[in-house]
Amino acid sequence: MKILVVDDFSTMRRIVRNLLVELGFSNPLIQEADDGDNALALLRASAFDMVVTDWNMPNMTGIELLRAIRAEPKWKGLPVLMVTAENNREQIIAAAQAGVNGYIVKPFTAITLREKLEKIFERLAASGASA
Amino acid sequence: MSATLPDVTESLPAEVIALLNSEDGAAFEQALDSMVRQREQHLFRALGLLARDLHGAVRRLGGELTFEGVPDSMADARKHLVEVLDMSAKAAHRSLDFAERMRPEADALSGNAAEVLDFTTSKTDPAAVLARQALAFAERCCEGLDDMVMAQSWQDLSGQRIKKVVVFIESVETSLLELVRLTGSLANREAPVMAVKVSSQDDADRLLSEFGF
Repeated sequence: MKILVVDDFSTMRRIVRNLLVELGFSNPLIQEADDGDNALALLRASAFDMVVTDWNMPNMTGIELLRAIRAEPKWKGLPVLMVTAENNREQIIAAAQAGVNGYIVKPFTAITLREKLEKIFERLAASGASA
Repeated sequence: MSATLPDVTESLPAEVIALLNSEDGAAFEQALDSMVRQREQHLFRALGLLARDLHGAVRRLGGELTFEGVPDSMADARKHLVEVLDMSAKAAHRSLDFAERMRPEADALSGNAAEVLDFTTSKTDPAAVLARQALAFAERCCEGLDDMVMAQSWQDLSGQRIKKVVVFIESVETSLLELVRLTGSLANREAPVMAVKVSSQDDADRLLSEFGF
């Protein structure tokens, strides 16, 4: 499974990558971008199976990236997991309305990440089955 | 109709009531003018004092900043914060390096211990006892490494706050520079021409003294 990890902090990208590898995802299939703009460029260049993005980033924020992804018909079903320090009600609602698949508040453990990912794939499988 | 209006005369000073009742229209106008002027003067004086205080404060600030150097002190503050950001990122990466290096060691220890336990699970065999201890240690070690990795994500959270402060300092810097430039130009009499024009130095002095300068 090809995953794109988007965060302006290299520390966080590394932590998320390591956690994903720990959960069994393939390290070479994980790519990184440091803001929404670069993430979009990578998404256009090749197909990804999931995006894990931060909220606060320069140039293009995570919520703008999410909206840009949902605006593109071919990425409508692309799972987007938001990993962010923003945990206020309005922002969570904004992310939900923009079509986020999961929302994790930093800092988090591998267990939390696994739970959220499992939920995302369960829901996707259910919606795929019913469709 | 007059019956519905509240009677305000009771709350007025005696001299005003006398004026209101006076038949002398000119005297009434004059008294009213002088009262209004008196009020205006209080207001202008207060505004003048306020303006002088503000002007003084801004000049002092400008002086201090010129002495320290606005661009230098502000840029230094920003530079220091960016350095803090870099240092904390380096520290976090070193911790992550350590965790990545130790995890395979812990896994190897765990694997070796399991191999020993394949041969003997005796409760009295020192090798088996040590292998069990090694297994438990490797497990605790991995848990500790997980905690350590999670703690490094605080670098991202604290870094985001530092970035916000850097942006804030930038905006303060811009505003201060603008303020200093403005007061500098006022001090050098390069200020834009005032709407109220004065014809002579005497007029100017009188006006300034009226304003409490």
